[in-house]
Amino acid sequence: MALAATMVLASVLGTASARAEDKPVALIVSQGGLGDQSYNDLGHAGFQRALKETGLAGKPVESKEVVSQATEILRRASDADFGLIVDLEYAHGEPMLEVARDYPDTKYVILNQVREGANIASVLFQEQEGSYLAGTLAALVTTDTSIKGINDKPVIGVIGGTKSAGIDKFIAGYIQGARASNPDIVVKVAYSNNFGDPAVGLQMAKAMIEEGADIIYHVAGGTGMGVIQAAREAGVYAIGVDTDQDGIAPGNVLTSMVKYTDVAVETVMKDYAADKFPGGQTLSLGLRENGVGLSEMKYTRDLIPAATLEKVEAAKQDILSGKVKVWNVVDQGYPDFMK
Amino acid sequence: MIDNVIHAAFVMTTPILLAALGGLVNRIAGLVNIGLDSMMLAGALLGLIVASQTGSWPAALIAAAFVGGFLGLLMSLTVTRLEANEIIVGLGFNIAVAGLVRFFLKSWYGTSGTLSLPEVAMLPRIHIPVVADIPVLGAILSGHDPLTWAAWLLVPVTAWFLARTRLGLRLRAAGAAPQAARALGLNPLNLRDASTVFAGMMAGLAGAYLCIGVVGIFNEGITAGRGFLALAAFYFGRNRPWATALGALLFGLFDAVQIRLQGRGLPAELVQTLPYVMVIVILTLVAITVKRARNKGA
Repeated sequence: MALAATMVLASVLGTASARAEDKPVALIVSQGGLGDQSYNDLGHAGFQRALKETGLAGKPVESKEVVSQATEILRRASDADFGLIVDLEYAHGEPMLEVARDYPDTKYVILNQVREGANIASVLFQEQEGSYLAGTLAALVTTDTSIKGINDKPVIGVIGGTKSAGIDKFIAGYIQGARASNPDIVVKVAYSNNFGDPAVGLQMAKAMIEEGADIIYHVAGGTGMGVIQAAREAGVYAIGVDTDQDGIAPGNVLTSMVKYTDVAVETVMKDYAADKFPGGQTLSLGLRENGVGLSEMKYTRDLIPAATLEKVEAAKQDILSGKVKVWNVVDQGYPDFMK
Repeated sequence: MIDNVIHAAFVMTTPILLAALGGLVNRIAGLVNIGLDSMMLAGALLGLIVASQTGSWPAALIAAAFVGGFLGLLMSLTVTRLEANEIIVGLGFNIAVAGLVRFFLKSWYGTSGTLSLPEVAMLPRIHIPVVADIPVLGAILSGHDPLTWAAWLLVPVTAWFLARTRLGLRLRAAGAAPQAARALGLNPLNLRDASTVFAGMMAGLAGAYLCIGVVGIFNEGITAGRGFLALAAFYFGRNRPWATALGALLFGLFDAVQIRLQGRGLPAELVQTLPYVMVIVILTLVAITVKRARNKGA
């Protein structure tokens, strides 16, 4: 009884002091921390942009034990009177469920997974759409012998970190895009079974290059570093993933399939500021929302004929207009061409 | 095609073989080294850094062997002098070194996970004229780096060392019968420490091989459990150098085959288990053969 009374009092005080939407925003930085020139920095850039545009206050939260102390970090942030907590750490999905139940007035955002809860918004990226464009570009380039390092065989490759729906989502999109621009294309698919072994990534990429592949897409984290290295050694091309990896081997990374985490963070923060927080919903960011896309191709744009780039742009427009539907393995299961 | 498979098999074998020979000597002297993976990881990181800073691959190998040997000494002292459990200490080293490496990457280089440095001096490849053009034989003998040659030359050297030299026999005594060794005026603990330092140096070289012999970059997952594959290899070989080398070669060969079998209509999940399934099959066959031979003798 006393507890209930206190809670009523607290909620009255809460509403009196400030509307939830004016409360500051916390950004929980994931493993690797700020300065990683990758995922965290990208998310942080979107965070800063949104703060500036909405006038909200907020700050990033960094911790060395971001994974092992997940629940404590989330609770501390919730106690610190933040109204919105945007969490970049993937491993916080499970602990967030528990914490979010205890703080019904605080709002939470988790990326790359779906978590149930009236005050949790989940954000997914339509990686298959960006991968479709990567496949389209690869299939067009792989027979264009005017480009340095390219042979006349219509063979390209893709190396996944593990055989799972989450990874095959990328691979299916890539194959679909490649086939759409060249029906005779051969796409070699292999899995490294490991996200942190560049030595095996290099060996797998080499095996594909021996068989005529001159463009290899990797969806394999640190293992993919070996794929990029193999492309550099052999003078062929890799395609990066998740962040803009073009600079890792300038001129040998054809493009990267980028997930724009900054757009995701910015979108939910603006919704929150506008009192339209998508609690209990799943946002799905694809090409239309600029949530995914190809990198700007800083080092390779000049190598590729303008007509090819125009065709990739046309493929993008076809997806935006709904003329082309890109297969989503996670929602739809496996397409015929991957069975 | 077959040449490429053979070549890749040797590349995948070298790091396992190096660490396995070190672990073998270590085990013969009485210490099962679970921490090989940690020494490999430290050797990989330092090898890459030195190869980039100095531009010299021999300097990188020396540095990698040094850091591996140093970790081996620390681990050995913990086990032989403080009487800690070797399994627990080994596991502890694996976890602690992985954490330290991550911390070092973050605080010194500001990166997480992957370290890519400019102008890394890679191991040279030794091409043997004429032989290189012969199919199969060329792939077996030509195009390898000095560390691969060293690893294979160390197989007979280790066999000879353990069977024919005074120090080798003393190491075996220290492992098999420490009391007897002590009665002969030897110090089994010192001998055991020396063997762990050797194992650490070999594991350090194995790590350096991954970084400056194969990829030219470092990743915190670069050892990918190869320290444990080395452990499996010398258990498989029952402490005999040639059998251990065969075990390491089987891992390397089936890994190279597995990579190339993917995408040929076989399910990827099944193909990836091939190296491990084959090891179990071969272990079983070896055990059956040994048992038959023994029964015949009796």
